[in-house]
Amino acid sequence: MKRLVVIAAALAFSLALIATLLELPAATIDLRPAVAENLAASGVAHPVTAVLLNYRGYDTLLEIAVLLLALFGILALGLERQVCTLRAAERPLQLLARLASPLMVVVAVYLLWAGAWRPGGAFQAGAVLAAAAVLLHLTELLPGWLQPSARLRWGLAGGFLLFLGVATAMLARGALLEYPPAHAGALILLIEAGLTFSLGLILAGLFLFMTCDEGGD
Amino acid sequence: MTDPGALMVWLILLPLAWACLAFLLGSGRGAQAAIIGLGLQLGLTLLLAVMLSGAGAASHAVGGWPAPLGIALAADGLSVLMLLLTQLIALPLAVYAHAYFAAGSVEGRYFWPLTGILLAGLNGLFLSADLFNLYVTLELVGLSAVGLVAAGGGVSQVAAALRYLFAALVGSGAYLLGVALIYGAYGTVSLETLGPLVVAEAPRAVWLAGGLMLVGLMLKTALFPFHYWLPSAHGGAPAPVSALLSALVVKASFYLILRLWLDPFGALVARAELLAWLPMTLGSAAILWGSWKAIRAPRIKMLIAYSTVAQLGYLFLIFPLLGTAGARQAGMMHVFAHGLAKAAMFTAAGVLIKVTGQDTVAGLAGVAGRRPLSLYAFGLAGITIMGLPPSSGFLAKWLLIEAALQQGHWIIALMVLVGGLLATAYVFRVLRQAFLRAPRAGELVAVPRTLELMAFVLAAASVLLGLRGVELMALLSIGSAA
Repeated sequence: MKRLVVIAAALAFSLALIATLLELPAATIDLRPAVAENLAASGVAHPVTAVLLNYRGYDTLLEIAVLLLALFGILALGLERQVCTLRAAERPLQLLARLASPLMVVVAVYLLWAGAWRPGGAFQAGAVLAAAAVLLHLTELLPGWLQPSARLRWGLAGGFLLFLGVATAMLARGALLEYPPAHAGALILLIEAGLTFSLGLILAGLFLFMTCDEGGD
Repeated sequence: MTDPGALMVWLILLPLAWACLAFLLGSGRGAQAAIIGLGLQLGLTLLLAVMLSGAGAASHAVGGWPAPLGIALAADGLSVLMLLLTQLIALPLAVYAHAYFAAGSVEGRYFWPLTGILLAGLNGLFLSADLFNLYVTLELVGLSAVGLVAAGGGVSQVAAALRYLFAALVGSGAYLLGVALIYGAYGTVSLETLGPLVVAEAPRAVWLAGGLMLVGLMLKTALFPFHYWLPSAHGGAPAPVSALLSALVVKASFYLILRLWLDPFGALVARAELLAWLPMTLGSAAILWGSWKAIRAPRIKMLIAYSTVAQLGYLFLIFPLLGTAGARQAGMMHVFAHGLAKAAMFTAAGVLIKVTGQDTVAGLAGVAGRRPLSLYAFGLAGITIMGLPPSSGFLAKWLLIEAALQQGHWIIALMVLVGGLLATAYVFRVLRQAFLRAPRAGELVAVPRTLELMAFVLAAASVLLGLRGVELMALLSIGSAA
């Protein structure tokens, strides 16, 4: 009975949503011309990167904080009493992982660089780095992580701190995150490089901090 | 610093910075960084309040891009009051937490980074004038609150955190869907730009969006019947966390409901006046149900958590009266009164639980003679919750009854009175038990004096604010149309 009510409610809501979307008028304001007009001053040639790191860079700053926060949340659960060990894995698998991971690092660097003029950027590059770490972990080449050491903590928070530092430095000469157009490109690349590194560690951490076994099975 | 925009930005940057520092340095020096940072934030907020009361509302275009292309931060009287309350409560709670957590414990170590991000989220939320940016700040607030509930806890605490997480995610998901619909209809998420657009034309999608956002935020505010997640989360967390959650976190989503209800959705509400009675009805139900559960709760922290469910109800009684400045003042006064008093109650209860080594109301028998300061703090906070003069709770109820009677809505005045009587029942349950002349078996555990002092400071503030509350609420007129 309860299930029927839930299904009926979900169905009714979906229908209402679809009906509303079908009769949705054209948006009153079109931001695309404004995005294109200011692209020259944004420091990058790709509109998505311009929105993410310049026009609405403040959203991105807070979103990096959300990712860091997710990691704090996992660490705060207190998994430190467990031990992390490597088990024996298949040799061909390890060989493939050893071949793939350096390539993945190259791909990450390319994605970071390409973000200035085509789809790419720090999030994608960081995700590829994290994937490489997870691959190494699954093939038993990289152990799961315990509570982070001081050096790893700097690595995890470093990208965000760099972003925060640049944002604050810009405040001194105008508004938060207001890049001078001449240096916007270089500053965005600097921020994205820091973010790629830290996001790689954070995303890998979301996986590796949770996968410690109880002393191997 | 003479630019209010820079002050606003620093209120968001500072807590982010000390959250990172606390993560990098560990709990000892991290706590010091946090307390220094919070002191600075309080100073900046006071400065901002003074500045705005002279020069009126202020805004800051982040990145130098004016809305709708960029994101605007904006501060008016409502934002400044919320900022002020947040820093006022967070500072004593940080001092309390520093003494509360054992050195080296996991929950103590991650309390500071999580709290820093929580405060950045709160300050960012009160200052944002952009629907999507508001969503990001809601996520910061919600996820850090969930992390704080779960930190270092046992199975039941993690289960409560998980239930809280689901509620928070569904709430912000509904809000985000609403934002997407608004963007689809108007092509902008800037509050300032949206205002006139909604007045001019509101297609059906905007009504749906408004409904989704309202329900999502009600879920986050734990308004009856969406309160199911609150008692276990607030009642199960460590005392400083419970205090932060009950005093501040649920108020953030209430603030957002109020902000959006007034503008840009004011035009929709004006077309359907009966709509305002929906939050009022749910609020009344919350007062009755929350108080009833508080009267029956066997554990002291559950009693306080259910009292939060009831007290949140008052905030929603103001909606049919929002046309008057008096109703808005009554609502904000209640946010202050409940915030300070509830922080005091949870911190005092934290002391009592530590010294007696258990958390039932019955187990408090005879504790009054042994821990008078904590009990005095609890009693003072109780005066505010019950709404006795001269407390800020009394002032809030007075303003609300006045606004209700002026507009002939005696039913709202009646709810306020009934709620006050019910609150008396559950507050006196605790006090009566504590003053019993029961011989206590065994020694009480010693606790740092700081814990009791901070509970007392918060409780005293909640009572004394009643004497100067009218002046404080005058800030509300900054940047307000009415």
